[in-house]
Amino acid sequence: MAEVVTEATPAADGAVSRPRRFASALGSYGGFAPALILLGCFFLVPLGIIVCYSFWEVINYNVVHHWTLGNYRYFFSVSAYITTMWATLWVSVAATALAIGLAFPFAYWLARYVPQRLRALLLVLVIVPFWTSYLLRVYSWLTILGEKGLLNRLLQWLGIVHHPVGLFLYDRPAVILVLVYLYFPFAALTLYSSIDRFDWDQLRAAMDLGARPLTAIRRILVPQIKPGLVTAVIFVFIPVLGEYLTPQIVGGTRGVMIGNLVVNFFQADEYTRGAAISLLIALFILLMLTVFRKSLSAPEAYGA
Amino acid sequence: MESTGDEDDYELTMAVTAAATQATREGGGSAAGIELRGIVKRYGQQLALRYLDLEISDGEFFCLLGPSGCGKTTTLNLIGGFVAATEGSIWLRGKRIDRLPPHRRPVNTVFQSYALFPHMSVRENVAFGLRMDKIPKHETRTRVDESLLLVGLEAFGDRSPAQLSGGQQQRVAVARALVKRPAVLLLDEPLGALDLKLRKRLQVELTQIHREVGTTFVYVTHDQEEAMSMADRIAVMNDGLIEQLGTPVEIYRRPRSRFVADFIGEANFLDVTVKGDVATFADGTKAACDGAGRSGRATLMVRPEWLRLGAQADAPPGSLAGRAVHASFLGSHVRVAVDSGASEDPLIVELSSTDVAAVPETDSEVAVWWEPGDALLLEADGDDG
Repeated sequence: MAEVVTEATPAADGAVSRPRRFASALGSYGGFAPALILLGCFFLVPLGIIVCYSFWEVINYNVVHHWTLGNYRYFFSVSAYITTMWATLWVSVAATALAIGLAFPFAYWLARYVPQRLRALLLVLVIVPFWTSYLLRVYSWLTILGEKGLLNRLLQWLGIVHHPVGLFLYDRPAVILVLVYLYFPFAALTLYSSIDRFDWDQLRAAMDLGARPLTAIRRILVPQIKPGLVTAVIFVFIPVLGEYLTPQIVGGTRGVMIGNLVVNFFQADEYTRGAAISLLIALFILLMLTVFRKSLSAPEAYGA
Repeated sequence: MESTGDEDDYELTMAVTAAATQATREGGGSAAGIELRGIVKRYGQQLALRYLDLEISDGEFFCLLGPSGCGKTTTLNLIGGFVAATEGSIWLRGKRIDRLPPHRRPVNTVFQSYALFPHMSVRENVAFGLRMDKIPKHETRTRVDESLLLVGLEAFGDRSPAQLSGGQQQRVAVARALVKRPAVLLLDEPLGALDLKLRKRLQVELTQIHREVGTTFVYVTHDQEEAMSMADRIAVMNDGLIEQLGTPVEIYRRPRSRFVADFIGEANFLDVTVKGDVATFADGTKAACDGAGRSGRATLMVRPEWLRLGAQADAPPGSLAGRAVHASFLGSHVRVAVDSGASEDPLIVELSSTDVAAVPETDSEVAVWWEPGDALLLEADGDDG
């Protein structure tokens, strides 16, 4: 009797369970469908198109489906492009470092010393620039840094210079300055939200145990907000790496970044070369995220 | 600025321990452990400490006791260096320390929240202070081992603080502070976050640790039982001032004010008029008391366990007549509430639960009396603010 039952059950189960298993899988994973469709339509498909483009070629302003590595070879064969790539890298590193270097003391001050009710106000002030268009914010720097701009007029009024200084605009320092201005809020908000959860008694304890204030910050606070720091780096560095409007508006010909190359190629109908460069940027970012992934591992981000 | 007043010096030298004497020879200054002189601390308009003078001897277990907002934590932070005094000076073994930043004071703190570093192991936490002092590695290792052994956590060095219970975390905090061999250990309500049973056990452990290391402990608490059970001396603080300073027994038996009597233990307060050595109660009863030259309105304080209870017929003269309104059995003792004409609040009488026979029936007429020496006359209600 018992044998019959044990033999019969798996057979019956096998017949019923496959569709049932499918239904339960649909139930537990079906919720991902909207995300999958969204991601597929607006990310995976366009990415696929760009990948294909980067391996095709343009003949007579038409994209021809000839598989080739020519676009990549071309990019690495032109020394000006390589120079621009390195320049983009160091401009991005400098802008990220400066933005975070300014945002850290600000966030520290805000989280530690500013009374709760004033903090909300200050955080709103940090976000206020987002209410104006990006383009407007970049153009406004022309009126500050330009030859008849605020800075030149101030210097002339103070008698420090007698003729307008043209140096402020149309070079990499101007690009870095404006990028720092544009991305400071991202860094400040990210750092603030992670510093805000810190137990300040730990800094006091560190100083009580003989650490100088800066040592205490470096040894106690910084390791604990590492996930926040990494997030801030990613939030600033990645968009800065792909910037093209800021270098175009305030950077002039000497402030060109790799994003401008992409734009130039696409405007010249060289879609395949543009696609290859944008993929190189994406590849670099992917590489960077893989390196940072360790610092972003879940136990460290949520464990404390 | 190295030497203190001569008289102070003399008195203190008489009281110091052997360790302090040695420190005096080395330091050449005054022998007192810690001295706070004329400390005033203002936060904006608010006075947190109003002219505080305090001397704590070397090796003492000293308690700052008081309700929240009395200034006890401010006093601790002043010694630790986290708060600057508005006026006054702080001296440690004859050296002025109130202008030194926290990391340069030979004083270590056990924080209420423990403030352990979550990204470091227990060992790394304890070793942190020694690393800051650039102590050689092998010495650091032995001292960390000693310190963990002292608090009974030698097997937990590789754990992270999050893997420890509250009591264990508290012990790590003690080990981390003591490993630096501070002249003074400051403890800011270190047992506040623990449950009652664990708290009692750690109270015993802390007093043992204190005896073993011989360091001065300055302990802040609002729990009078905790202060009584651990401290050599207690400073009862209220509203930025020290109301009374003395041993637990002195403070319990001879509180100087109604505030102290009320804060430490339980007390019955009775309004009386004093003339010579006779106190007259609100209901007209006259009883003998130690008037100590007082006359006029005063408050008579008697602890519940010093009151005697009996039938009115057997009562000695000077007893208060009343009615037992409630009796509650509390294990080790029985509390009886007695309504009398002598006070608005019922008198609380504490009887040992071994003489249950003496507990009166509810609503029965009783008499309450006490030995004249057990009652204490205090300033009349309202006079001491």
